[in-house]
Amino acid sequence: MKDQNFIVIAAAQDTGGEAAAGKWYDQAKATYITLVDSQHAVSSAFQFVNVPTGVWIDERGRVVRPAEPAWTTNQTMKFGAKSISTEGEEYVAGLRDWVKNGDRSVFALSDQEFARRVKPRSSAEMEADASFKLAVYFYGAGAKELAAKYWHRAQQLNPDDWNYARQEWSFTPAEAGKNWMEKFQKLDQAYYPKLDMPAPAKEAPKEPPKPQL
Amino acid sequence: MNRRDFVALSSGAAVSLALPNARAASAGATTVLFGDRSVTLDKTRPGAPPNELWVRAADLPRINDFTVKPQGACREDVCIPIPKELKNGEWFNLTGFARRAGETVVNEENVWSFGEIPIMGGKYLNNRQAPDFAAPDRTGKIVHLSDFRGKKVLLFTWASW
Repeated sequence: MKDQNFIVIAAAQDTGGEAAAGKWYDQAKATYITLVDSQHAVSSAFQFVNVPTGVWIDERGRVVRPAEPAWTTNQTMKFGAKSISTEGEEYVAGLRDWVKNGDRSVFALSDQEFARRVKPRSSAEMEADASFKLAVYFYGAGAKELAAKYWHRAQQLNPDDWNYARQEWSFTPAEAGKNWMEKFQKLDQAYYPKLDMPAPAKEAPKEPPKPQL
Repeated sequence: MNRRDFVALSSGAAVSLALPNARAASAGATTVLFGDRSVTLDKTRPGAPPNELWVRAADLPRINDFTVKPQGACREDVCIPIPKELKNGEWFNLTGFARRAGETVVNEENVWSFGEIPIMGGKYLNNRQAPDFAAPDRTGKIVHLSDFRGKKVLLFTWASW
Protein backbone atom coordinates (compact mmCIF):
# COMPACT_ATOMS: atom_id res chain seq x y z
CA MET A 1 0.00 0.00 0.00
CA LYS A 2 3.10 2.18 -0.27
CA ASP A 3 2.48 4.55 -3.17
CA GLN A 4 -1.05 5.53 -2.23
CA ASN A 5 -0.23 8.52 -0.07
CA PHE A 6 -0.65 6.35 2.98
CA ILE A 7 1.63 5.99 5.97
CA VAL A 8 1.76 3.80 9.04
CA ILE A 9 2.83 5.13 12.43
CA ALA A 10 3.59 2.66 15.20
CA ALA A 11 3.76 4.02 18.74
CA ALA A 12 5.31 1.81 21.41
CA GLN A 13 3.50 2.49 24.69
CA ASP A 14 6.64 1.87 26.71
CA THR A 15 7.66 3.97 29.69
CA GLY A 16 10.92 1.98 29.52
CA GLY A 17 11.66 3.86 26.28
CA GLU A 18 13.94 2.70 23.48
CA ALA A 19 15.61 0.19 25.81
CA ALA A 20 12.29 -1.64 26.13
CA ALA A 21 10.85 -1.14 22.65
CA GLY A 22 13.85 -0.87 20.33
CA LYS A 23 14.74 -4.52 19.88
CA TRP A 24 11.19 -5.34 18.83
CA TYR A 25 11.32 -2.69 16.12
CA ASP A 26 14.69 -4.14 15.03
CA GLN A 27 13.27 -7.66 14.92
CA ALA A 28 10.28 -6.54 12.90
CA LYS A 29 12.65 -4.73 10.49
CA ALA A 30 10.14 -1.90 10.71
CA THR A 31 9.79 0.20 7.57
CA TYR A 32 7.05 2.41 8.99
CA ILE A 33 7.38 5.39 11.33
CA THR A 34 8.46 4.07 14.70
CA LEU A 35 7.71 6.11 17.83
CA VAL A 36 8.80 5.43 21.38
CA ASP A 37 5.89 6.88 23.32
CA SER A 38 7.11 6.52 26.87
CA GLN A 39 4.27 8.57 28.34
CA HIS A 40 1.48 6.85 26.36
CA ALA A 41 0.59 10.15 24.67
CA VAL A 42 -1.18 8.35 21.82
CA SER A 43 -3.34 6.23 24.12
CA SER A 44 -4.14 9.31 26.17
CA ALA A 45 -5.09 11.42 23.15
CA PHE A 46 -7.30 8.76 21.53
CA GLN A 47 -8.65 6.99 24.64
CA PHE A 48 -6.93 3.67 23.90
CA VAL A 49 -7.05 1.14 26.74
CA ASN A 50 -5.15 -1.82 25.32
CA VAL A 51 -2.62 -2.78 22.68
CA PRO A 52 -2.60 -3.13 19.79
CA THR A 53 -5.15 -0.41 19.09
CA GLY A 54 -5.41 1.67 15.93
CA VAL A 55 -7.13 4.70 14.44
CA TRP A 56 -7.43 5.71 10.81
CA ILE A 57 -6.92 9.39 10.03
CA ASP A 58 -7.64 10.93 6.65
CA GLU A 59 -5.77 13.57 4.64
CA ARG A 60 -7.60 16.40 6.45
CA GLY A 61 -6.73 15.09 9.89
CA ARG A 62 -10.22 13.70 10.43
CA VAL A 63 -10.65 10.41 12.28
CA VAL A 64 -12.23 7.85 9.97
CA ARG A 65 -12.37 5.03 12.51
CA PRO A 66 -11.71 5.53 16.23
CA ALA A 67 -10.05 3.07 18.61
CA GLU A 68 -10.33 -0.61 17.73
CA PRO A 69 -8.05 -3.65 17.97
CA ALA A 70 -5.36 -3.38 15.28
CA TRP A 71 -4.18 -6.92 14.60
CA THR A 72 -2.85 -8.13 11.27
CA THR A 73 -3.48 -11.88 11.63
CA ASN A 74 -6.25 -14.11 12.87
CA GLN A 75 -5.41 -16.29 15.80
CA THR A 76 -7.00 -17.73 18.89
CA MET A 77 -4.92 -17.93 22.04
CA LYS A 78 -6.09 -20.02 24.95
CA PHE A 79 -5.39 -18.88 28.51
CA GLY A 80 -6.79 -21.26 31.09
CA ALA A 81 -10.52 -21.61 30.58
CA LYS A 82 -10.75 -18.52 28.37
CA SER A 83 -9.36 -17.46 25.07
CA ILE A 84 -8.58 -14.38 23.02
CA SER A 85 -9.33 -14.20 19.32
CA THR A 86 -7.86 -11.63 16.98
CA GLU A 87 -9.49 -10.40 13.77
CA GLY A 88 -6.50 -9.13 11.87
CA GLU A 89 -7.47 -10.33 8.41
CA GLU A 90 -10.74 -8.42 8.55
CA TYR A 91 -8.97 -5.35 9.92
CA VAL A 92 -6.31 -5.29 7.20
CA ALA A 93 -8.87 -5.95 4.44
CA GLY A 94 -10.93 -3.00 5.65
CA LEU A 95 -7.84 -0.82 5.86
CA ARG A 96 -6.83 -1.67 2.28
CA ASP A 97 -10.30 -0.82 1.08
CA TRP A 98 -10.26 2.56 2.81
CA VAL A 99 -6.76 3.40 1.55
CA LYS A 100 -7.98 2.70 -1.97
CA ASN A 101 -11.45 4.24 -1.81
CA GLY A 102 -11.22 6.92 0.89
CA ASP A 103 -14.57 8.38 1.97
CA ARG A 104 -16.39 6.10 -0.45
CA SER A 105 -15.16 3.02 1.43
CA VAL A 106 -17.84 1.15 3.38
CA PHE A 107 -15.30 1.09 6.21
CA ALA A 108 -15.32 4.91 6.58
CA LEU A 109 -17.71 5.56 9.49
CA SER A 110 -20.61 7.97 9.27
CA ASP A 111 -20.71 10.87 11.75
CA GLN A 112 -23.56 9.14 13.51
CA GLU A 113 -21.60 5.92 13.92
CA PHE A 114 -18.53 7.84 15.06
CA ALA A 115 -20.63 9.61 17.72
CA ARG A 116 -21.99 6.26 18.88
CA ARG A 117 -18.47 4.92 19.38
CA VAL A 118 -16.63 7.88 20.89
CA LYS A 119 -17.79 9.22 24.24
CA PRO A 120 -16.37 11.95 26.47
CA ARG A 121 -14.17 10.62 29.27
CA SER A 122 -15.86 10.26 32.64
CA SER A 123 -14.38 12.28 35.51
CA ALA A 124 -12.80 9.08 36.88
CA GLU A 125 -11.19 8.41 33.50
CA MET A 126 -9.85 11.97 33.34
CA GLU A 127 -8.38 11.66 36.82
CA ALA A 128 -6.89 8.28 35.92
CA ASP A 129 -5.24 9.83 32.86
CA ALA A 130 -3.76 12.69 34.93
CA SER A 131 -2.61 10.21 37.60
CA PHE A 132 -0.90 7.97 35.06
CA LYS A 133 1.01 10.96 33.69
CA LEU A 134 2.14 11.82 37.20
CA ALA A 135 3.34 8.22 37.64
CA VAL A 136 5.33 8.38 34.40
CA TYR A 137 6.88 11.62 35.58
CA PHE A 138 7.88 10.25 38.97
CA TYR A 139 9.18 7.04 37.41
CA GLY A 140 11.44 9.09 35.14
CA ALA A 141 12.58 11.21 38.07
CA GLY A 142 13.60 8.07 39.96
CA ALA A 143 10.87 8.47 42.60
CA LYS A 144 9.71 4.85 42.40
CA GLU A 145 7.40 4.92 45.44
CA LEU A 146 5.52 7.97 44.24
CA ALA A 147 5.34 6.42 40.79
CA ALA A 148 3.81 3.26 42.29
CA LYS A 149 1.25 5.33 44.21
CA TYR A 150 -0.03 6.89 40.99
CA TRP A 151 0.22 3.72 38.85
CA HIS A 152 -2.15 2.22 41.41
CA ARG A 153 -4.44 5.21 41.53
CA ALA A 154 -4.80 5.21 37.75
CA GLN A 155 -5.73 1.52 37.80
CA GLN A 156 -8.26 1.97 40.60
CA LEU A 157 -9.91 4.87 38.81
CA ASN A 158 -10.02 3.12 35.44
CA PRO A 159 -9.79 -0.65 35.91
CA ASP A 160 -10.76 -1.23 32.25
CA ASP A 161 -7.48 0.26 31.08
CA TRP A 162 -5.04 -2.59 30.46
CA ASN A 163 -2.27 -0.20 29.43
CA TYR A 164 -2.12 1.27 32.94
CA ALA A 165 -1.99 -2.14 34.59
CA ARG A 166 0.41 -3.82 32.20
CA GLN A 167 2.83 -0.89 32.12
CA GLU A 168 3.17 -1.10 35.88
CA TRP A 169 3.45 -4.88 35.92
CA SER A 170 6.30 -4.67 33.39
CA PHE A 171 8.55 -3.30 36.13
CA THR A 172 8.24 -6.56 38.09
CA PRO A 173 8.61 -9.02 35.19
CA ALA A 174 8.58 -12.13 37.39
CA GLU A 175 5.04 -11.28 38.53
CA ALA A 176 3.68 -9.78 35.32
CA GLY A 177 2.34 -13.02 33.83
CA LYS A 178 0.55 -14.02 37.02
CA ASN A 179 -0.91 -10.54 37.47
CA TRP A 180 -2.20 -10.52 33.92
CA MET A 181 -3.73 -13.98 34.20
CA GLU A 182 -5.58 -13.11 37.42
CA LYS A 183 -7.09 -9.94 35.97
CA PHE A 184 -7.86 -11.65 32.68
CA GLN A 185 -9.66 -14.59 34.30
CA LYS A 186 -11.88 -12.20 36.31
CA LEU A 187 -12.77 -10.17 33.24
CA ASP A 188 -16.50 -10.18 32.48
CA GLN A 189 -16.16 -8.61 29.03
CA ALA A 190 -14.12 -9.36 25.93
CA TYR A 191 -10.40 -8.61 26.25
CA TYR A 192 -10.57 -7.10 22.78
CA PRO A 193 -13.94 -5.72 21.68
CA LYS A 194 -15.22 -7.44 18.59
CA LEU A 195 -14.39 -5.60 15.38
CA ASP A 196 -17.54 -3.85 14.29
CA MET A 197 -16.91 -3.85 10.54
CA PRO A 198 -18.90 -4.82 7.48
CA ALA A 199 -17.78 -8.04 5.86
CA PRO A 200 -15.08 -7.36 3.27
CA ALA A 201 -16.50 -6.81 -0.21
CA LYS A 202 -16.07 -9.76 -2.55
CA GLU A 203 -14.16 -9.15 -5.76
CA ALA A 204 -16.73 -8.27 -8.38
CA PRO A 205 -16.99 -11.18 -10.81
CA LYS A 206 -15.35 -10.40 -14.12
CA GLU A 207 -17.84 -9.88 -16.88
CA PRO A 208 -17.76 -12.62 -19.41
CA PRO A 209 -16.37 -11.51 -22.76
CA LYS A 210 -19.10 -10.10 -24.92
CA PRO A 211 -19.92 -12.27 -27.89
CA GLN A 212 -18.83 -10.73 -31.17
CA LEU A 213 -21.87 -9.76 -33.18
CA MET B 1 6.48 26.00 12.17
CA ASN B 2 4.45 23.99 14.56
CA ARG B 3 3.17 26.01 17.48
CA ARG B 4 4.71 23.70 20.04
CA ASP B 5 8.17 24.04 18.45
CA PHE B 6 7.69 27.78 18.39
CA VAL B 7 6.88 27.83 22.07
CA ALA B 8 9.95 25.72 22.82
CA LEU B 9 12.20 28.04 20.85
CA SER B 10 10.74 31.32 21.99
CA SER B 11 10.44 30.63 25.68
CA GLY B 12 13.25 31.43 28.06
CA ALA B 13 12.41 28.60 30.44
CA ALA B 14 12.38 24.88 29.84
CA VAL B 15 9.55 23.32 27.89
CA SER B 16 9.90 19.67 27.10
CA LEU B 17 7.90 16.62 26.38
CA ALA B 18 7.27 14.73 29.58
CA LEU B 19 10.01 12.19 28.89
CA PRO B 20 10.93 9.84 31.70
CA ASN B 21 14.21 11.64 32.23
CA ALA B 22 12.53 15.00 32.67
CA ARG B 23 13.25 16.56 36.03
CA ALA B 24 12.44 19.83 37.64
CA ALA B 25 15.37 22.11 36.95
CA SER B 26 15.92 22.84 40.63
CA ALA B 27 14.52 21.82 43.97
CA GLY B 28 12.36 24.93 44.26
CA ALA B 29 10.86 24.63 40.77
CA THR B 30 7.31 23.57 40.04
CA THR B 31 6.46 21.15 37.25
CA VAL B 32 3.16 21.24 35.39
CA LEU B 33 2.08 18.26 33.28
CA PHE B 34 -0.55 18.81 30.64
CA GLY B 35 -1.20 16.69 27.55
CA ASP B 36 2.19 15.58 26.29
CA ARG B 37 3.99 18.51 27.92
CA SER B 38 6.04 18.96 31.03
CA VAL B 39 6.64 22.60 31.86
CA THR B 40 9.06 23.70 34.56
CA LEU B 41 8.21 26.97 36.28
CA ASP B 42 10.87 28.69 38.32
CA LYS B 43 8.36 31.20 39.71
CA THR B 44 4.94 30.57 41.20
CA ARG B 45 3.00 32.84 43.56
CA PRO B 46 4.57 32.70 47.01
CA GLY B 47 2.26 32.06 49.95
CA ALA B 48 -0.60 30.57 47.91
CA PRO B 49 -2.75 28.00 49.77
CA PRO B 50 -1.28 24.47 49.37
CA ASN B 51 -4.17 23.29 47.17
CA GLU B 52 -3.81 26.20 44.77
CA LEU B 53 -1.25 26.78 42.06
CA TRP B 54 -0.82 30.37 40.92
CA VAL B 55 1.40 30.85 37.89
CA ARG B 56 2.50 33.94 36.01
CA ALA B 57 -0.16 34.76 33.45
CA ALA B 58 2.73 35.07 31.01
CA ASP B 59 3.50 31.34 31.52
CA LEU B 60 -0.02 30.20 30.65
CA PRO B 61 0.52 29.82 26.87
CA ARG B 62 3.37 27.37 27.29
CA ILE B 63 1.42 25.44 29.91
CA ASN B 64 -1.79 24.87 27.96
CA ASP B 65 -1.89 27.24 24.95
CA PHE B 66 -4.36 29.57 26.67
CA THR B 67 -3.70 33.32 26.84
CA VAL B 68 -5.16 35.68 29.42
CA LYS B 69 -7.14 38.40 27.63
CA PRO B 70 -9.66 40.99 28.84
CA GLN B 71 -12.56 38.68 27.86
CA GLY B 72 -11.11 35.63 29.63
CA ALA B 73 -8.59 32.86 29.07
CA CYS B 74 -8.61 32.13 25.35
CA ARG B 75 -7.30 29.47 23.02
CA GLU B 76 -8.15 29.36 19.34
CA ASP B 77 -11.86 30.14 19.16
CA VAL B 78 -12.60 29.33 22.81
CA CYS B 79 -12.67 31.91 25.61
CA ILE B 80 -13.42 30.94 29.20
CA PRO B 81 -14.48 33.97 31.28
CA ILE B 82 -12.22 34.47 34.28
CA PRO B 83 -13.64 35.95 37.50
CA LYS B 84 -11.53 38.68 39.10
CA GLU B 85 -10.50 36.53 42.05
CA LEU B 86 -8.54 34.19 39.79
CA LYS B 87 -6.17 37.03 38.87
CA ASN B 88 -3.83 39.05 41.01
CA GLY B 89 -1.27 41.29 39.36
CA GLU B 90 1.03 39.09 37.30
CA TRP B 91 -0.44 35.93 38.85
CA PHE B 92 -3.12 33.61 37.51
CA ASN B 93 -4.86 30.89 39.54
CA LEU B 94 -4.26 27.82 37.39
CA THR B 95 -6.08 25.39 39.67
CA GLY B 96 -9.03 27.78 39.92
CA PHE B 97 -9.10 27.96 36.15
CA ALA B 98 -8.98 24.17 35.98
CA ARG B 99 -12.01 23.89 38.25
CA ARG B 100 -13.92 26.31 36.06
CA ALA B 101 -12.94 24.40 32.93
CA GLY B 102 -13.84 21.00 34.45
CA GLU B 103 -10.21 19.94 34.28
CA THR B 104 -8.89 17.34 36.74
CA VAL B 105 -5.89 18.27 38.86
CA VAL B 106 -3.67 15.74 40.63
CA ASN B 107 -0.90 17.17 42.78
CA GLU B 108 2.00 15.56 44.61
CA GLU B 109 4.89 17.55 46.03
CA ASN B 110 5.78 20.22 43.46
CA VAL B 111 4.33 18.38 40.48
CA TRP B 112 0.84 19.21 39.18
CA SER B 113 -0.79 16.99 36.59
CA PHE B 114 -3.76 18.43 34.72
CA GLY B 115 -6.29 16.32 32.83
CA GLU B 116 -7.83 17.21 29.52
CA ILE B 117 -9.94 20.37 29.17
CA PRO B 118 -13.38 18.99 28.31
CA ILE B 119 -14.42 21.95 26.16
CA MET B 120 -11.32 21.48 23.97
CA GLY B 121 -12.19 17.80 23.44
CA GLY B 122 -15.17 18.83 21.33
CA LYS B 123 -12.98 19.00 18.27
CA TYR B 124 -12.51 15.26 18.44
CA LEU B 125 -15.88 14.27 19.87
CA ASN B 126 -18.01 16.51 17.67
CA ASN B 127 -15.87 17.29 14.63
CA ARG B 128 -13.78 14.11 14.47
CA GLN B 129 -10.59 16.19 14.34
CA ALA B 130 -7.67 13.99 15.36
CA PRO B 131 -6.04 15.37 18.51
CA ASP B 132 -2.45 16.29 17.76
CA PHE B 133 0.26 14.71 19.89
CA ALA B 134 4.02 14.73 19.93
CA ALA B 135 6.25 11.75 20.66
CA PRO B 136 9.88 11.00 19.90
CA ASP B 137 10.94 8.53 17.23
CA ARG B 138 13.77 6.07 17.88
CA THR B 139 16.42 8.72 17.30
CA GLY B 140 14.75 11.15 19.69
CA LYS B 141 13.37 13.37 16.95
CA ILE B 142 9.97 14.74 17.95
CA VAL B 143 7.19 13.64 15.61
CA HIS B 144 3.80 15.37 15.52
CA LEU B 145 0.75 13.73 14.05
CA SER B 146 0.09 17.02 12.23
CA ASP B 147 3.35 16.51 10.28
CA PHE B 148 1.44 14.01 8.14
CA ARG B 149 -1.49 16.17 7.11
CA GLY B 150 -2.29 15.41 3.46
CA LYS B 151 -1.74 11.68 3.88
CA LYS B 152 -3.92 8.85 5.06
CA VAL B 153 -2.58 7.52 8.34
CA LEU B 154 -2.90 4.28 10.22
CA LEU B 155 -1.76 5.08 13.76
CA PHE B 156 -1.46 2.07 16.01
CA THR B 157 -0.04 1.29 19.42
CA TRP B 158 1.82 -1.77 20.65
CA ALA B 159 4.05 -2.45 23.63
CA SER B 160 6.95 -4.65 24.66
CA TRP B 161 5.23 -5.71 27.88
